[in-house]
Amino acid sequence: MVDVANTVTPDRQRAELAALSAPAVLFTLAMIAFPVIYTVWLGFHSFSSTGQQSFSGLANYSKLIADNEFWHGLWVTLALYLLSLALQLVLGIWLAMLLFNAKRLPGIVRSLFISPFMMPPVVAGLMWLVILDPSLGAANYILQAVGLPPSDWLASPIWVIPTIALIDTWQWAPYVALIVLGGLQSLPPSVYEAAQIDGASAFTTFRRITLPLLLPTIVTAVILRSVDLLRFFDIIYITTQGGPGNASNTLNIYGFRVGFEFFNIGYASALMLTLTVIVFGVVLAFNRLRGAVAW
Amino acid sequence: MSGNAFATRVAITAVALGAVTTAAGAADFDWKKFQGKTVTFLANNNPVSQALLTYKGDFEKLTGMTLKVDGYQEQQMRQRLVTVMNARSDEVDVFMTLPSREGEQFAAAGWYGDLSAMSKSHAAKDYDFAGLSQALLKAGTFGGKLTSMPMNIEGPILYYRTDIFKKCGVEKPATIGDVEAAAQKIKACDPAITPFVSRGLKPAVAYTFSNMLHNIGGSYMANGKSNLCSPKGKEALDIYSRLLRDYGPPGVVNYSFQQISALYRSGRAAMSFESSNELRTVMEGGERLKDTGLAPFPAGEAGLVPTAIGWGMAVSAFSKQQEPAWYFVQWATSPEVQKKMAVQGIAPPRPAVANDPEYRKWIDEQPVRKQWQAALDVLATKGSSEVGYPIVANPQSREFIGQAVQDLILKQKTLDQACADADKGLNELIAQK
Repeated sequence: MVDVANTVTPDRQRAELAALSAPAVLFTLAMIAFPVIYTVWLGFHSFSSTGQQSFSGLANYSKLIADNEFWHGLWVTLALYLLSLALQLVLGIWLAMLLFNAKRLPGIVRSLFISPFMMPPVVAGLMWLVILDPSLGAANYILQAVGLPPSDWLASPIWVIPTIALIDTWQWAPYVALIVLGGLQSLPPSVYEAAQIDGASAFTTFRRITLPLLLPTIVTAVILRSVDLLRFFDIIYITTQGGPGNASNTLNIYGFRVGFEFFNIGYASALMLTLTVIVFGVVLAFNRLRGAVAW
Repeated sequence: MSGNAFATRVAITAVALGAVTTAAGAADFDWKKFQGKTVTFLANNNPVSQALLTYKGDFEKLTGMTLKVDGYQEQQMRQRLVTVMNARSDEVDVFMTLPSREGEQFAAAGWYGDLSAMSKSHAAKDYDFAGLSQALLKAGTFGGKLTSMPMNIEGPILYYRTDIFKKCGVEKPATIGDVEAAAQKIKACDPAITPFVSRGLKPAVAYTFSNMLHNIGGSYMANGKSNLCSPKGKEALDIYSRLLRDYGPPGVVNYSFQQISALYRSGRAAMSFESSNELRTVMEGGERLKDTGLAPFPAGEAGLVPTAIGWGMAVSAFSKQQEPAWYFVQWATSPEVQKKMAVQGIAPPRPAVANDPEYRKWIDEQPVRKQWQAALDVLATKGSSEVGYPIVANPQSREFIGQAVQDLILKQKTLDQACADADKGLNELIAQK
């Protein structure tokens, strides 16, 4: 005989599951939604230097379009992003191939290779600030020891972006390498055996087989690094605070200063939302690309 | 009895009565009144708060209160403060503030509690309100409201290497022109040494540049407009940037106090124009003790008008325990605590503490300390607390000053272009409400 009272229908089961998980889901949604909604709300308000606020509609956004500092910040952000990403991809893939082929490399050496990205960015920033100091730092000492002229590094309006890109590459190329290494280890050996039988050279194998098969993994690395690079802040703030002049004043640094040094929270929110839209746009574009190159 | 003699007698009697009343009030002063309460102190992790917090236990023992310290680096402290204050939160009871930088802004925003009454009616007998630097009290008063109590007095001073001066046949500079002449001689005499170093980092420039501008006789504003393009303003911009460009270290545009002190302490700079607060850092290791001379920055056409500022302690307007908070402020800025901080190298904002025998003994231990105190005496008597524009948007005004100086150091603009661009932005700031 079937005990009708104890029978749980699928509908009831779903309802119970929904009721039990609802608090956690609502809490998570609130935690994500509240800051975003609050920032959107702030972006529609103007704050005077004394903190007085008033509704200003789209005034912050029209100010942004006319603000040379915003366009300069966008240019610096994109320049730093593209340069750093290119360097990290090339070095990361090269490092991954090296680690993949050096089967006998001791574990400690592998760990050392990937250690920079485990260092807190503030520590990395301070360390490089000391190394690159034009008067006291080791970098110029080494340059001069090998007969090269010293550089102003972070103090030069021309070299500051390449220098910051190099610092970020030092820290994050190993991370890209680690992702790519995972991809390399999952590639089917049969394809390589076939290539070997056909007499393909190492370069042809890399160009025609490894790289195309690795593309989905590389795009994943690009997405992860894009999110970080477009909202890059800590190392720039530690090393240059956006200087010299405005040469490294990225959108993120500019927004921070407008908000927390000049207390214009409304305009800072508009700047940060614009940056968020850019980050989302780039991530969505690469996500679509990842779908296209999947195998 | 003449009218004057009568007036004098009345005044003496009034003062005597006032003194008796104050003493009677102070005798009743109960440090344990708020026993069991917790006061939260938002501190900037600088030498001033570090010296003060050495005695945190003394405060807790004296009052029976708990002091919760929320400490950050300067910029992060302001970031936290802005968040707390914009939310009108009572999380912070007492915070450190630089009236010369954010005073106008915080006062206009209504973030400061009013200390005018408490500092007089709720003070212990030995607090000696009148003994605090009147100039610093004035700098912390906005719209007739006393907003902070001074913790220290500081300003940029010239640190110079007596041994290098002697080797290169250079005299201690007496004028701004002498500084440049000395730098020129040192550059020729010992190319391995940086002749002169001062702040080149954009937001930090105003602190040292203001001293130069005021010594030359310039002013930031005239008739409600920016005055940076006046002949004196241009002269100050020109000399300051030239000194750094031609005689400063490479990469000086990224130099603030940390880099300057490190360069001077390592023996690689002949003259350093940096904060009096850096004495302890500069003398760390003892290498510079025997070859350093100290002086206020040499005179310009207007004589000596050094920059003299100080950190203050303010009570948050949103604190729900204003009186316990005031107890902490009162203890921290009392003569007794400031005397203890003074022998840790924190220049006291009280002339009486500066003359205290114990402090004098500490000063007399090293010639460098004597010169340091002499320079501070000049700061206390002749100083100006104007660092950047005396407007609500003072922090932003410092950006424009720094940008003009950097443009000139990096030769990105002519003097006329640099100051005109700065004036344009500054006039917009001045027009803002």
